Amino acid sequence: MESQKPKISNGVKNWLSLYNPRYIRSLAYMLQASEYNIRDYVSWLARVKNFNKVENRKHLASTPKSLFVIAFISIIILCIYGAAFAILLQWANPLKYLVFILIIISAPHLLSYGIIIPLWLFTFFIQKPTEHFIINRTEKILRNNKSIKIAIAGSFGKTTMREILKTVLAEGQKTAAPPDNYNTPIGISKFVRQLTGNEEILIFELGEYYSGDVRKLCQMIKPQIGIITGVNEAHLQKFKTTDAAADTIFELADWLKDKTVYVNNENALAKNKALNNHIIYNRDGVGNWRVQGAQTDLTGTSFILENNDLRIEVKSKLLGLHQIGPLSVAADIALRLGISPEKIQQGIAKTKPFNHRLELKNYNDGVILLDDSYNGNPDGVDAVIEFLASLKNHKRFYVTPGLVEMGLKTESVHKEIGKKLAKAGIEKIILIKNSVTPYIEQGLKENGYNGEIQWFDNAAAAFAALPNLTVNGDIVVLQNDWPDQYA
Amino acid sequence: MDKKTIAVIFGGRSVEHDISIITAHTPIIQSLTASGQFDIWPIYIAKNGSWYSDKIMNDLEFFKRNDFENYLSEQKKIRLLFDDGLKIIWPGFRQKTIAIDIVFPAMHGTFGEDGSLMGLLRMANAPFVGCDIFASAVAMDKTLTKQVLAAENIPIVPFVWFTKYEWEKNKNGLIQKIKKLKWPLFIKPAHLGSSIAITKIKQESELENAIEVAFHYDDKILAEESVENLIEATLPIIGNDELQLGGIERPLNKTGFFDFNDKYLSGNKKSGGVNNQYSEIPANISADLKQQVENLGKQTYRLLGCSGIARVDFLIDGISQKVYVNEVNTLPGSLYCHNWRKMGISGVELVTKLVALAEERFQKQKNITYTFRSDILNQVNGKKITK
Repeated sequence: MESQKPKISNGVKNWLSLYNPRYIRSLAYMLQASEYNIRDYVSWLARVKNFNKVENRKHLASTPKSLFVIAFISIIILCIYGAAFAILLQWANPLKYLVFILIIISAPHLLSYGIIIPLWLFTFFIQKPTEHFIINRTEKILRNNKSIKIAIAGSFGKTTMREILKTVLAEGQKTAAPPDNYNTPIGISKFVRQLTGNEEILIFELGEYYSGDVRKLCQMIKPQIGIITGVNEAHLQKFKTTDAAADTIFELADWLKDKTVYVNNENALAKNKALNNHIIYNRDGVGNWRVQGAQTDLTGTSFILENNDLRIEVKSKLLGLHQIGPLSVAADIALRLGISPEKIQQGIAKTKPFNHRLELKNYNDGVILLDDSYNGNPDGVDAVIEFLASLKNHKRFYVTPGLVEMGLKTESVHKEIGKKLAKAGIEKIILIKNSVTPYIEQGLKENGYNGEIQWFDNAAAAFAALPNLTVNGDIVVLQNDWPDQYA
Repeated sequence: MDKKTIAVIFGGRSVEHDISIITAHTPIIQSLTASGQFDIWPIYIAKNGSWYSDKIMNDLEFFKRNDFENYLSEQKKIRLLFDDGLKIIWPGFRQKTIAIDIVFPAMHGTFGEDGSLMGLLRMANAPFVGCDIFASAVAMDKTLTKQVLAAENIPIVPFVWFTKYEWEKNKNGLIQKIKKLKWPLFIKPAHLGSSIAITKIKQESELENAIEVAFHYDDKILAEESVENLIEATLPIIGNDELQLGGIERPLNKTGFFDFNDKYLSGNKKSGGVNNQYSEIPANISADLKQQVENLGKQTYRLLGCSGIARVDFLIDGISQKVYVNEVNTLPGSLYCHNWRKMGISGVELVTKLVALAEERFQKQKNITYTFRSDILNQVNGKKITK
């Protein structure tokens, strides 16, 4: 009975979590979720209060590596405890009791920080050389592959761009692209190993986490065409400034020099860095192509591409006017590669929202769900709010835990979201309690929001409540999802 | 904002025990939780009549555990205190007491929906959701409902009623009376809901068996004419004085009449609740029939003194276009949430509205004077008291 359990303060609970057998699993999970990156793991470690609660949104995946890590950590902790007991039994000095207690008490901390040493040794002596070998092999395979290589860089919109290109170009050419989030050297290498050599077009997303990442990927892939989708505050926690992020993303343009580079000038930071020889794209067109008659609703987005006498009327199932720019880029590249306007039309008709990216789902008796849970960047949020504002005659719900990795811009980015939601007149805002959502509330209130704000302790509680909050015809946007390391 | 403490009472000594568990959770507890406005204390009355309260029971999954009864048997039973409102107490060395601001009864059938629980809550001077004791008690008895409605010229289907004692003493006389009704007939227990123990009979040879079945569940039963060319319709209503109508709903049952399985077990279990996808909302009936159903629904609700929520069931002869009021249900399964959703009212809006209606009625009752000062006691044992 909840009310009858003895009350233990949170501080004591947090401290006890260090001595729970689950602690070992939690450390293994944190390493896995941080992709064994020492910097990320240590910064997470410093923030955790209760180690019983690190696995919230996801759980430890059972892989050979994670099992090895669990076994390794277990051995270390046994060694620490073994050493403590050895001192207690073998050492004649009376201080042994104090030393014994100190070791036992500090064992979890010794363990959590102690494993960084073997992890670093492993990274330096095994992982890095292995990766170097793999990357060289990939570079060689790609050098021998005669396909056209297109690379996409940007803080946001890479996956959507990749999927649009893949769908449109596949209408006329043999096209392949890595699945999921394979945007690191190792991820791309996995994909490259499966290539047959018959491909005519290869499309790559370039992941940017630290300065130099994009350049390294360019050296490995050697793309002929580049697309820069934009620069914003995504990953600002790592880059510190948007200028640093922009420099990293524009490593693609630097590498391509005078080859074809498309730049999204709907994004202010990308626009500022675009050069004269770059091809600009936005919802009004791309290069010499002009967009006419653009419309968007829950069934998709339609527009006409015009270039002198050529006119291509297209309709995509992608939602929102912000999709017109990327769709136009795909049409332009397709035409340059000799794909006919009819095929382009067919290809664009086949484009549809990718998983969890403004994906339309019907659930719970006629409630319209717009799943945008993989979209966690300010430009994507703007696009969704703009789209939501265009949908009238529906009660609209906007559910969000806010955005992660916004660094010093956390407050301004979230206040801006609140402001845009207020201006769009979204009827109900559901906020998940954490360090950033109060700024959204502040932005809402400062801009005269007169709808309803409701708070939930966590996303699971909000999702569970939604069927009881909604009726047929309501629209629910699920905006972003927080991984555990940000909770 | 301080959360109101609300107790949802469910389970109970009733054949509809399990249905009550579902109603309590889908939508009541789930919607109260989703509203974020309440501190919810689930009060579960076991089949043996023991009362338990434990927040673990706010999750419907708890009742799907095979060992939930064992778990509860190890918990402390709660006690009730009527001390200017309702308080629940876990007795013992570390006694715990919670004051309840409002009660949401979610009990179907006997000892709950029949007014018993409402009587208890009135004694406790606690506001509660849904119909009060009088409407609940009348609506629970199908014969009494028909008699009240007939007295006000609301059309009802002809019927004969009798008790077990009367049947045993005067079987032949009653059979003769029943034979005079227009066959086929329905034999129904007077007090049970959810279509339990109801039999449709077409010939006399089936009569006695059907009556035996009904008497197995109730002491009072009725034989009622069957409306042929039947269109069934039901209308959920909420309100105290100002009434808000749900959608007229037409059950789309495949069998001759709606039995327990049709109502509760053949729906789409995935979307929850006890009334899924077996009906047409709004019913595809003529504007004239719609008007009649709505008017009769409102009159019936008022006549029985319903408040909060109720559902009025109708039988319509598809050929003669005659509408009869069949019965009233003072706690529709799952509050007929699916129907309200179709009318644009979410689960949260429904339960919060019902709570507001309960508070409104409670405030009104508070203004009624139930006691007055007299010196009658001083006159006892002294002068002669004269009437």
